[in-house]
Amino acid sequence: MSATRSVVVGLVAAAVLALGACTRDGIPPAPPATSASPASAPATERIVGPLTPADAQALATMNDRLKEYVDLHVKLERSLPNLPKEATPEQIDKNQRAFEKLVREARTTAKPGDIFTPEARPVIKRLLATIFGGPDGQQLKASIMDENPVDPVALRLTVNGRYPDTVPLTTVPPQVLQTLPKLTEDLEYRFIGDWLILLDTHAHVIADFIDNALPK
Amino acid sequence: MRTRHLSLIVLLFLFIVTGVGYRGSGNTAGTARLEAQQSPAAPVVPLPNRDGSFKFGVLGDFGTGSQAQYQLAEQMVKLHGRFKYDTVVLSGDNLIGSERPQDFKVKFELPYKALLDAGVKFYASLGNHDAREQRFYKLFNMGGHLYYTFNPRPDVCFFMLETTYPTPEQFDWLEKELKASSSNWKIVVFHHPLYSSGDRHGSDLRLREVLEPFFVKYNVSVVLNGHDHFYERVKPQKGITYFVVGSGGMLRVGNIDRGTGITAKGFDTDQAFMAAEIIGDEMYFNAISRVGQTVDSGVLTRRKITP
Repeated sequence: MSATRSVVVGLVAAAVLALGACTRDGIPPAPPATSASPASAPATERIVGPLTPADAQALATMNDRLKEYVDLHVKLERSLPNLPKEATPEQIDKNQRAFEKLVREARTTAKPGDIFTPEARPVIKRLLATIFGGPDGQQLKASIMDENPVDPVALRLTVNGRYPDTVPLTTVPPQVLQTLPKLTEDLEYRFIGDWLILLDTHAHVIADFIDNALPK
Repeated sequence: MRTRHLSLIVLLFLFIVTGVGYRGSGNTAGTARLEAQQSPAAPVVPLPNRDGSFKFGVLGDFGTGSQAQYQLAEQMVKLHGRFKYDTVVLSGDNLIGSERPQDFKVKFELPYKALLDAGVKFYASLGNHDAREQRFYKLFNMGGHLYYTFNPRPDVCFFMLETTYPTPEQFDWLEKELKASSSNWKIVVFHHPLYSSGDRHGSDLRLREVLEPFFVKYNVSVVLNGHDHFYERVKPQKGITYFVVGSGGMLRVGNIDRGTGITAKGFDTDQAFMAAEIIGDEMYFNAISRVGQTVDSGVLTRRKITP
C-alpha cells in the first residue's frame, strides 16, 4: 500500500515539475551537461547528459516520423528522372521544382508538429537551451544569427512551403549538429530568425519547424 | 636590462612563430615559411610561370552578376593570357541571390566564358548563399558531392569542404582523407574562415575548434576561404597560412579590422582574386585587383611534419 502511494506521489511530483518546467517562459530548464558519459555514448548524451525515458521516447517518436518522411521523399524522388552528376542549370532547376511539387502534393495536409511532435518540441528546445546556455552559447548564437536578421513571422513560413530563395542558409555550428538528433542527407536543420527549420534540401521545402526555438 | 632582454626574446619568438620574412629551403619542419610583401611600395614577388608547374586561381563570393565581377573576371582572363593556369578553386557564394538557369549564365558562365572556353576547370565549394543542387552543376566539378577531394597533380591535393552544415560525418571523412593522402601539398578550401579580420564576420571560432587540429596534425599547408568580402592573408597560424579571398564580386570596403593582429596583408578597397603557382616545395602567390594591380605577393614553403 505504502509502496503504491509512493509511486503515485512520485508521479504527481514529476508531473507538477514537468508542468512547471514547460510553462516557464516556454523554455524548459536544461538538464545538467555531463562529461561523465563515455566517449562511445551518443553525441546528445555526451553533451547534455542522459535523457529521461520520457524525453528519449519523445525523440524516438520524432525519429519514426522522420523515417516516414524520408521514405516518402525517397519514393517521390525515385519517380523522377535521375539528375546526372554533371547536370545543366536547366536540368537542375527542372528537377528541383518537379520534386518540390511532388512533395507538396503528397503532403497537402501537413502541419506544424507532424515531425517535431508536441512531445519532441520541448526536448529539442531543451537540447538547444543546453548548448546555448553553455560558456560558448553567445558565440554559437552569433554564428547562427550571422546573415540571419530575418523575421520568420514576416516571411510567413509554412510547413510544406518553399524555403525562401532570398534567405541565405544559416550556418549550423558543429556543436549543434552533434547534439540534435541525427538526420539523413535529405534533411537539414537550419534557422530562420530564431525558428528551427527542418529543411528538405532536395525539394527546397520546409518539412516542419519549431518557432522560438533559440533561447532569448 | 631585464626588460630589454625580455623584449628581444619576445621579438625573436614572434619572428619564429610568424615566419614572416623568412625564405629558403631549410628544415623548419612543420611550419609554412613565408616571404611576402608587407607594404604596397615593396616590389612584387612575381609568379615564376615555369613550364610544368601547377598553376591555379582562387576566387570567392563572386556570383553577383555585377559589373565589378565582370571586370575582375577580365583581369583573370588577362592573366591567363600570360600565365596558363588550368584550375580555379571557388571558396563559396558562387551564386548570390536567385539561382534560376539564367543566373548560372549571368553570374558564372558569361563572366568566365573565355576561361571556360580555354579549358580552365572550376572546382566549387559551397557557401551560405549556395543551393545544394550546385553540386550537380557540371561546370563546378563537384561530382554530386557536398564535400570532396581532387588531385590536379600527384603532389597536390585539394580538400573541398562544406561548412554551412558541418556534420560529424564530414569531419570523419576529412580526417580519413587527410590521413590517407600522400600529397606533399594539402590545401583545404571552404567558405567560413577560421581566421579572418572581418569586422562583419571574422574568425569562425566554433569551426576552428573542430577543423584546426586536423589541419595541424595532417600537414595542411594552406587554407583558402571566403565569406568576408575582402582579400586577407593571415599571418601563419600554427604553421598554416590562411587566405580569405571573398572579394570576387562582393566587396565590403574598409571591413578589415586592423586591430586583430593576425593580418599579414589585407586589401579591402577593391575586388581581388588570387593566382598561385606550386613548384616543388614552394607556392608563389599574387593577389590581383580589379584594375590589375598586384596587391599582395609572396612565396611560402609547404609544411613537412615528420610523423
